[in-house]
Amino acid sequence: MKLVIDETRCKGCNLCTKICPYKIFKEGKKPNLRGIVVPELDRPERCANCRLQRLYGRTLCGVCQLTCPDQAIHWEEEQPYEPKKVAIEY
Amino acid sequence: MTYEDWFRKDRLPHIYCAGCGNGTIINCTLAAIDQMNWNKDETVFISGIGCSSRAPGYIVTDSLHTTHGRALAFATGVKLANPKLNVVIFTGDGDLAAIGGNHFIHACRRNIDITVICMNNQIYGMTGGQGSPTTPKGCFSTTTPYGSAESPFDLCELAIAAGANYVARWTSYHVKELEKAVKVGLETPGFSFIEAMTQCPTNFGRRNKFKEVLDQVEALKTHALLKAKRDRMIEQGENIPDDFFIIGELIRRNRPAMGVKT
Repeated sequence: MKLVIDETRCKGCNLCTKICPYKIFKEGKKPNLRGIVVPELDRPERCANCRLQRLYGRTLCGVCQLTCPDQAIHWEEEQPYEPKKVAIEY
Repeated sequence: MTYEDWFRKDRLPHIYCAGCGNGTIINCTLAAIDQMNWNKDETVFISGIGCSSRAPGYIVTDSLHTTHGRALAFATGVKLANPKLNVVIFTGDGDLAAIGGNHFIHACRRNIDITVICMNNQIYGMTGGQGSPTTPKGCFSTTTPYGSAESPFDLCELAIAAGANYVARWTSYHVKELEKAVKVGLETPGFSFIEAMTQCPTNFGRRNKFKEVLDQVEALKTHALLKAKRDRMIEQGENIPDDFFIIGELIRRNRPAMGVKT
């Protein structure tokens, strides 16, 4: 699973940057086509829900999805053979 | 199935301002409703007038968008005409406390089996930032340019005194707790009242020194006081500051309810 921000729905309020316990979201820099500065993902492979949702069979944290007032954050299935990064935190 | 299925995808994104907390509360409510395994045809969302009351328009089920303050009156009619329906009401503070105040206390008194979710943004957001009955003392709005001189309404205390079966208060920062509280409210027979404090960056925050959305969410987080902690502070004789509000499950009881599904 991977974390996706829907750019057609996001209004750039940056609530997710405060709420995420892993600080995955950070404020964006460039406005998109609609003139909205969408937050960027900082090493999204650290997200617990992305890694362990399938194993546990339920949503683990999901605070960003619940908090997002514009329903812009959700998880998607990865395409087969999509390049994947593994983050190791010391 | 997730709660995303309850949204009308063609109507999104909604018209709420960037950073408005109402969307968060719709998410939490729908997540709780999704766990109840309710049939979409047997669920009705009812609302009055205001920012918060636009919520049923974004949900796939049947809904009633009624006159200002009369959402509870319409909901009473729907529930008593067909007790099989699950009735959920979205309402705001101006809708519930100011114009529909009398309907609110009488719905609590009758203890009808409905769930009311009040999005309390402490101001009339849609009409241009007039002071509402829940605007805290000293806060600025277009009708109180020198700071509100009146004491605000405590809606939860009002609901407890009038006889609601379940009363809880959370903020838009405490999403998981709010979701659980809404679920308990939906399961409880009788009148359940959940007050959700939200941020209003456009009309409340702009006039009250919350320049960013995050400032107001931070203020909601720091000024919230858990009920257990409040009781402990009173026991120890500590002073509770005036600008703090109590969060948590405030009451759960078993008064005889009206219109319960048999």
